[in-house]
Amino acid sequence: MSNLQYRLAAIAALIVASGWALFPRTVIERIPRNGSFVTDTVKRVPLKKGLDLQGGMHLTLAVDESKGAVSDKSTALDRALKVVRTRIDQFGVAEPVVQKAGADRIIVELPGIDDERRATDVVQKAAFLQFQITDKTGAFERVVPRLDGIVKDKKLTGGATAPDVRGDSSKSPAIKSLFTPKSDSVKAKAAGADSTSTTGPFSRLVISAAALGSQVPGLFFVAVTDQREIDSYLQNADIQAALPPGKVVRWGADSMVANGRALIPLYVLDSRPIITGDALIDAQPNLEPIDGAVVTFTLSNEGGRKFKNETGKHVKDYMAIVLDDRVMSAPIIQSAIGTRGQITMGGKDLSSAQDLSIVLRAGALPVPLKVEEVRAIGASLGADSVQKGITAGVIAVLLVVIIMLGYYRFAGLLAVCGLALYMLFTLAALAGFSAVLTLPGLAGFVLSIGIAVDANVLIFERIREEMVHGKAIRTAIDEGFKHAMSAIIDSNVSTALTAAVLYQYGTGPVKGFAVTLIAGIAASMISSIFVVKTFFLVWLNRNKTAETLSI
Amino acid sequence: MFRILHDTKYDFIRWWRTAAGLTIAFIVIGIGSIFVRGGFDYSVEFTGGTLMQLHFNAPPEQGKIRAALDAGGIKDEEVTTFGSPSDFTIRARSDSTSASADSASRKIEGLLVTGFGRDAFKVVRTEAVGSKVGSELARGAIIAILVSFFVTLVYLAIRFDWRFGISATIATMHDILTTVAFMKIIHLEISLTVIAALLTVIGYSLNDTIIIFDRVRENLRKNRREPLYNTLNRSVNETLPRSILTHATALAATLALLFFAGEVIRPFAWVMAFGIITGTFSSIYVASPILLWIETKYPRENTAKTSKAAKASPA
Repeated sequence: MSNLQYRLAAIAALIVASGWALFPRTVIERIPRNGSFVTDTVKRVPLKKGLDLQGGMHLTLAVDESKGAVSDKSTALDRALKVVRTRIDQFGVAEPVVQKAGADRIIVELPGIDDERRATDVVQKAAFLQFQITDKTGAFERVVPRLDGIVKDKKLTGGATAPDVRGDSSKSPAIKSLFTPKSDSVKAKAAGADSTSTTGPFSRLVISAAALGSQVPGLFFVAVTDQREIDSYLQNADIQAALPPGKVVRWGADSMVANGRALIPLYVLDSRPIITGDALIDAQPNLEPIDGAVVTFTLSNEGGRKFKNETGKHVKDYMAIVLDDRVMSAPIIQSAIGTRGQITMGGKDLSSAQDLSIVLRAGALPVPLKVEEVRAIGASLGADSVQKGITAGVIAVLLVVIIMLGYYRFAGLLAVCGLALYMLFTLAALAGFSAVLTLPGLAGFVLSIGIAVDANVLIFERIREEMVHGKAIRTAIDEGFKHAMSAIIDSNVSTALTAAVLYQYGTGPVKGFAVTLIAGIAASMISSIFVVKTFFLVWLNRNKTAETLSI
Repeated sequence: MFRILHDTKYDFIRWWRTAAGLTIAFIVIGIGSIFVRGGFDYSVEFTGGTLMQLHFNAPPEQGKIRAALDAGGIKDEEVTTFGSPSDFTIRARSDSTSASADSASRKIEGLLVTGFGRDAFKVVRTEAVGSKVGSELARGAIIAILVSFFVTLVYLAIRFDWRFGISATIATMHDILTTVAFMKIIHLEISLTVIAALLTVIGYSLNDTIIIFDRVRENLRKNRREPLYNTLNRSVNETLPRSILTHATALAATLALLFFAGEVIRPFAWVMAFGIITGTFSSIYVASPILLWIETKYPRENTAKTSKAAKASPA
């Protein structure tokens, strides 16, 4: 075979390989159907679209150290990773990604999920289950006067803020700022003037359960509108020091209405749990006729023995079921309980019971996690981006084709053929390295269509110069390619180095962009040098006596 | 053969003082306004905070959105339309480092459901970033730029000569300054995509500088007696047709992105469009005069250095 035939064979091989890399193939995938996920086979082009193009959620989780430092972060994170992965697998997502990023982050990618709230809940919920006996010694009542004193002495103010009836208001970022004294706070002045009164600034907000006819010891109520204020007091170091030892104060999960006011329960509990969620081996959602949605759980044999023993000691006491420091319910212990129990969801729907059983089954997170970053992109926006990207790409190709054909005529046609192969090779390379095509990556690809012809422009200009110098066509083409080479190599290598730096130091979308850039540089070198040169050789072969070249 | 601008003999380098004055004025206006009118707008990726893109079924009143958010105590939010009167973005700064990044977006969504009803709008995009992630991103971007400078410098020193390396690096710095000034002047928000565009501009401009320097290197070898001033001018003129063609195709692709690729990509396309112009300018009016200036300060030992350059280049 001649040199030319080798070249043609190589190009054919490249085209076949690229075509194979891009050929739609049958894959087994979990796809959403009628709201649930089923495993099925689908045919698709093996070009992986990033979350910004197909829609979905990206979460970055980190260890939350705002409530105390975590000692062995790395091990804790590894265990947390396992828990999160188990939960996500049960949540039912097509191709989830759960991986560690760096030493202290977990990245979760959920393609096709756009219910941001539900997903973050499932991932983030600590699911730390505890059973604690409510305080029956009246310890809290005894320290209330001291708490009043501290609030007065330290001039703590809760601030008169708008009510926040949402369940997680205690985690709301605004709480901390409430500590800054406000001179115009009406309540603070009232409290100061009221120093002789028996009801102090703290105690006047707390209603004893007995006043509402409840028998539960250690139970108090706070108006929902006052919850923030009380919460801010409870987070104060001086107040915390004054709370009775061996007891903890926990909010109830749901508010109730009594005497026309929305009230939220506040429990005082023994800090030692009689048992924790570690002993739990199964949890299932259920719908009960009276309680509504519930989660029934099963304890291990050992856990069951311990539970029976402890509950036996506390018959007629009230046992608070505490999930993530919120009291779900506090039923009375009628007799010793064995391995089974249930958590009522307080009127929430079945899907929340489903989510809770998922997180209980997967186990508690060993460390609290906080969401550092969320990106959620609706599927329609992603599809829209792809559509617009393709439109821009087609227009870019058209413009470049017009410029190249208009200026270089026949040689321009060869360059345009080279450009077509460039696009094929680049996409194939992306598919081959299973790189993820992101929106910036798509933009980079469209841009590269305009830049990829640069090598051909350089070569053609050189060929023209050689022709002007009176060289024969064949020599002019040869020399043109040869002389343009150093400029092409130096400029492409330096761009590739920049792209490599981008890849090394970039994150997420920028990384995808860098991969597209590098794949594009390699493909453009092959297509505009090797392929277009071969085209010229074919042409020379057919027109052995050519004296003019349309360039 | 249809040729444009071939065999030109323009004295490009002669105008370098005017060009320098223009570009310095541009940089001073742009960078100066950073100090006078406050810094850049950074995207939530860098500042930390929340960005939500909403699609309403019917165009709502912008004031009503603001009112709904203000009622719930969301402070300093920015509500802007995004492409059409039914599409909005809402930005809110994060107000605490300890809270989970997604608390603000939940609150905003809740408030809007209260104000407009659940079916009146759809959240099509949410980005919420803690401030810590943002500062790490910013550091990563700066490191990326500095490392790419160093890599370029070393590569050009090996392939050409240290003089070329320094000139090209200074030209690149110039491009970063003018592009940053441009971003400030048109009030572009600094986001990861814009940083990616800036880095692409660096690559593109470097490309362009190297093409001209490659010609300079070749002409220096061909004609050692010619003053560098003339060599530079000759090289710029000889590469002029190529420059016009390549910039035209690159600009064509960029304009396609600018007008057809949608709102999200538009900042990228703006930076790129400007970058093509500044990159072309700097190859001629920054890189070349600096090379000339270095040459007068540290003249080459004519034979030794050029033969070294000759060895380093292929063929």
